[in-house]
Amino acid sequence: MNESEIIQKLKQGNEKAFRELVEKYQGMVVNTCFGMVHNTEDSEDIAQEVFIEVYRSIENFRADSKLSTWLYRIAVNRSLNFIRDNKRKKWAQSIEDVLKGKKVQLNKFESGNSQNPDSKLEDKQRAEMLHQAIDSLSENQRIAFTLNKYEDLSYKEISEVMELTVSSVESLIHRAKINLQKKLFKCYKKKCI
Amino acid sequence: MVMKCKTLHKKIIFFLEEELPADEMEQMKYHLSVCNDCNAFAEEMAKMLAVLQTEKAPSVNPFFYTRLKAKIENLSNSKIRYNKNPFFVKILQPALFSVLLIAGIYSGIKIGQPISDRTSYYVDSEQEIIPYLNEMKNETIELFLME
Repeated sequence: MNESEIIQKLKQGNEKAFRELVEKYQGMVVNTCFGMVHNTEDSEDIAQEVFIEVYRSIENFRADSKLSTWLYRIAVNRSLNFIRDNKRKKWAQSIEDVLKGKKVQLNKFESGNSQNPDSKLEDKQRAEMLHQAIDSLSENQRIAFTLNKYEDLSYKEISEVMELTVSSVESLIHRAKINLQKKLFKCYKKKCI
Repeated sequence: MVMKCKTLHKKIIFFLEEELPADEMEQMKYHLSVCNDCNAFAEEMAKMLAVLQTEKAPSVNPFFYTRLKAKIENLSNSKIRYNKNPFFVKILQPALFSVLLIAGIYSGIKIGQPISDRTSYYVDSEQEIIPYLNEMKNETIELFLME
């Protein structure tokens, strides 16, 4: 079944077409969400919400863009909503902790042990440090960087997803890399790993 | 021209991704071959960026579609359940809330009403005690000192 056939059958409520769509794009959607939220369970949950949205609003899909572009857009928006909700929850939790008199946990990277021989632990620390650096980017830089690095999308494809010009995407990714470099250099100087 | 360490730090990510012009790439390579500190930093950065490659395309849960289908069915069932009982939504629910509201107002009025004389035992008993407390009328200070 090609893309237009899938869309047509989906609009008719064909379950087989929906299954085919999910099986074809689930890896792509989960990977995109993972690039944004950095957690496997959360990314799967968000991916499910993405497909539920597709199932519900396929009627409104006018096929102006590719189905994959539409899916990327929904995945990115859903991930950003999740991140915002999570931030709010964390903020409320931190206030609750302060009120209850709990000790605030210090940033684990600042107290990281550089002499730890366990390379797996080092890899884990590296991953967490990189995630923190990615999370500190602005929303647009983060989206562009994630789509480029996790999904290997070209600047043109990213520009279609983000509805920006190619040069804007280029600039976003360039600035994202500079910012990441700064963050990671600071951390390296502090001997986080 | 020899590149400074600071310049290298600003361009290391572009060097590792081979996005620099050829002459700059050569200068970076040369600097890294002679500067141990920068070389260590470059290695660490390379390891850090390699994380992105290892995280790419995580294996998807084999029950993804089954879970998704169940979720969609649950959502549509709850929607049906909600839509099935318009009597409950349109009549019974507002009626229940109205009854609760009236009960609340009535109990509020009852609690706020002043206590009637018949039930004010405490006020009477207080009046009875006062004469005993004020003993100055019966026994003046002069009489007390005379004793």
